[in-house]
Amino acid sequence: MSTATAQSVERELASIVGEQNVGGQAGQLRINGVSPAAVVSPGSADEVAAILQLANSRGLVVAPAGGFTQQDIGAVPQRIDILLSTARMNTIAQYDPGDLTIGINAGMPFAQALEKLAEHQQWLPLDAANLDKATVGGLLATAAAGPLKHAFGGLRDFCIGIHFVTADGKVAKGGGRVVKNVAGYDLMKLMIGSYGSLAVITGANFKVFPRPRQTRTFVSVFASREEALKFRGQILRSPLQPLCLEIISPGALEYLCDPMPPRDADHYAPPQPVAAPSREWQIVLRAAGSDNVLARYRRELGAAVTREHDGESEKQFWRWVSHFESNVLTRHRNAMVMYTRLALKDVGPAIQALERAAAEHNFIPAVLGRAATGSLVLAFIPLVVDPPAATQFSNCMTAFRALLPPGSSAEVAHCPKEAKAYLDTWGPTPTDLALMKAVKQAIDPNNILNRGRFIV
Amino acid sequence: MDSAIIRELRKIVGKDAALDRPEELMLYEYDGGQDKSRPGAVVFPETTEHVSSIMRLAQSTKTPVVPRGAGTGLSGGAIASKQAIMLAMARMNKILEIDVENQRAVVQPGVVNLEVSNATAKYGYYYAPDPSSQKACTIGGNVAENSGGPHTLAMGVTVNHITGIEAVLPDGRIVQFGGKAQDSCGLDLTGFFVGSEGTMGIATAITVKLTRLPESVATLLAIYNSIEDAANTVVAITQSGVTPAALEMLDGWMVRCVEENVHAGYPMDAAAVLLIELEGLKESVEEQAEAVSRVCTEQKAREVRRARDEQQRQLLWLGRKTAFGAVGRVAPAYYTQDGVIPRTKVPATLQEIERISKKYGLVIANVFHAGDGNLHPLILFDSRNPKEIEDSHKAGNEIMACCLRFGGSITGEHGVGSEKRQFMTAMFTEDDLEVMVRLRNAFNPESILNPQKMIPDLRYCREITGPLPKPKVEPVSGVPV
Repeated sequence: MSTATAQSVERELASIVGEQNVGGQAGQLRINGVSPAAVVSPGSADEVAAILQLANSRGLVVAPAGGFTQQDIGAVPQRIDILLSTARMNTIAQYDPGDLTIGINAGMPFAQALEKLAEHQQWLPLDAANLDKATVGGLLATAAAGPLKHAFGGLRDFCIGIHFVTADGKVAKGGGRVVKNVAGYDLMKLMIGSYGSLAVITGANFKVFPRPRQTRTFVSVFASREEALKFRGQILRSPLQPLCLEIISPGALEYLCDPMPPRDADHYAPPQPVAAPSREWQIVLRAAGSDNVLARYRRELGAAVTREHDGESEKQFWRWVSHFESNVLTRHRNAMVMYTRLALKDVGPAIQALERAAAEHNFIPAVLGRAATGSLVLAFIPLVVDPPAATQFSNCMTAFRALLPPGSSAEVAHCPKEAKAYLDTWGPTPTDLALMKAVKQAIDPNNILNRGRFIV
Repeated sequence: MDSAIIRELRKIVGKDAALDRPEELMLYEYDGGQDKSRPGAVVFPETTEHVSSIMRLAQSTKTPVVPRGAGTGLSGGAIASKQAIMLAMARMNKILEIDVENQRAVVQPGVVNLEVSNATAKYGYYYAPDPSSQKACTIGGNVAENSGGPHTLAMGVTVNHITGIEAVLPDGRIVQFGGKAQDSCGLDLTGFFVGSEGTMGIATAITVKLTRLPESVATLLAIYNSIEDAANTVVAITQSGVTPAALEMLDGWMVRCVEENVHAGYPMDAAAVLLIELEGLKESVEEQAEAVSRVCTEQKAREVRRARDEQQRQLLWLGRKTAFGAVGRVAPAYYTQDGVIPRTKVPATLQEIERISKKYGLVIANVFHAGDGNLHPLILFDSRNPKEIEDSHKAGNEIMACCLRFGGSITGEHGVGSEKRQFMTAMFTEDDLEVMVRLRNAFNPESILNPQKMIPDLRYCREITGPLPKPKVEPVSGVPV
């Protein structure tokens, strides 16, 4: 967009939302290095609709944005004409503690909603990273999840209603405010994980849960991946019903700490030279219940447990797990992070694939994730030796994907933007791609929303 | 139906697998709901390829196709017009794979819900969603309707237990959504497909999650002298921090009806009972059972009983799950609603239902998933009395309007189908519905698949002035529509 066009678009945006809500930090915001021509913060779904109508009629590319915690996921955008920030739509629409339901507008940082719920001993069981910044809309768009996914599933399993504006400016909704509801198509499922490519999410309703009164975390240590996974199998066959069940690789342990400034942002540079890297694999289980129930967990887990966490140390531990990815990326800006979606049995082979692909392409592997849902966070950390070439990332990723068992998918969540041109961020998926594209075409025919960034 | 189409159908599936004689078709003119209509032909595919060939034939001849599982649906989802081919999935009834290690089973759509649990019990697993019709209803039908059941309170509904679907689109293309992994990269078309009531495609293979059988189960029966106390208990349990596996309510009329049918030990003089189930680790079930009993007593339960053994537990559940059948024994006809309300509104809604019952002089029996706020008021009427037929629908509409006033939904688990199609405009705006239509068209552009279901006729929508239009189809009169 030329400067003159940009200025005229800004004027039109200002007539929708008011001058004070156009521009702002436009100079600083970048998505994979691309800065938006205009930034606008609508205050209501109707304003979002007016903005999208304008964009749609002019063929302007729009990127919806929340807390800017995961904007770098996906392919490099060709251009962004309008960055649509949900920051002003940041209120709780309705909260009925007695009904255990809450409606939250898209721009509210998730941690604020959790605070409100905590007043009533309730919560939304989502422990993704950076919840003080990440917004409800952004978390929905990226289908974000954390270790609690093991027991509670993802947002798709507790989002009961969704409000959105389609690319051509229709204010629409799916679902409702009650916990059980089959009226109409399940538009929640469609919007969750659509990475802002179908519509701009303006709010959502959730069923909330009673917050567990007491939890405890049991850490078990093993000498090898095989032993760790064998223990996982034992737990899955037992009557235990953990809240979280994580596997942590030896390489990941180093990043379970408070954020550390990079020593050498381009390379692997541990604070102390690591003479003999840890070989310790961990299976970490978090359980909720009374003393009596927790004692049962202790009995069932037996001698394998070497450490227990509760209270503050437990909170800190799980915060570290959730922030593994951002910790890796803070320390190594050239690291590549991938997310896997695997069948249960394929967790072992996928970790093996990581180790092999990383070793062959000069990366240090580190992995942690949900041992029983197959959602792993894989880090490929560049070595101190040669600076990684752009193709090193794509070669490694290709090798890794080729080693994955069939039916798995693995997307690149983060890697240097320079390398993105050489790789397929999203990769193969078992779900029919042509139909996904038809769905996108149905509600964003001019492809104005997040053009070229998502799989569709 | 055009005899050339029948001939083509027989070429695809074999002579004995396509029906077109009126006496054969009669069996397929109804489902568990109120509407009736005789299809033009019924065809029984055995493989995905059969389904694909049938869809290609239908596409080229512009013949509507209506899929059907066991025909237990309560919203007319499996009702086909005389121009339509009914695709009956009864012969696609094989469990294709039980993958214990991945906690998944892959089944054909015609597999009966309970059979999945029966086949996996020996490994210590079961399939969690348990519609009351689970002895008959099929997984394919469950996927279409996103079926619920008593135990969905803690376990979630069908969509929370499906990870992969192979489907045939209206043009005959065979597509895959998801697989054995809990989710996959890209749009969640698996989740979107579930609950689409056969309007997007025909599921031909379904990957379901298997759930570990709980170590311990406690089933409580809380007995009340007043229905209000029972309703208040539901609110109190919801707020207590305990999530029961199931929390069901039966009112006094229903209790007596059920007891006469199954002799499960339900008290004949109760005004209402709650059937509450807790599942999980032994230790936690004991604690929760104690906590729930305490809440019930605080809310003036006359007595809280606990099932002594599995047999007694099964008997209590038999009473609950055969409740609709039990009503059939004593009442000539009934009309079931499936409205949902926020759980704190259970007491107020029951009062409203009582008022409506008195207003029309019709018995309305209540048996419902109280923990979810999912009501099933059964409005009893005499189908020989035209005024009662009309009143039963007026009463039903008033109950539905009440659910919506309280911020609820017109259907919690039975689906929209043809029965509640007209009521969609009371929940959704024209723009909402247009988005749904555009999305359906991405799968089913000419609406050949299950036409006239779920989505109301949009031109008709615009003519609506009141919040609750009268249904176009008059149910239960016995006249084919």
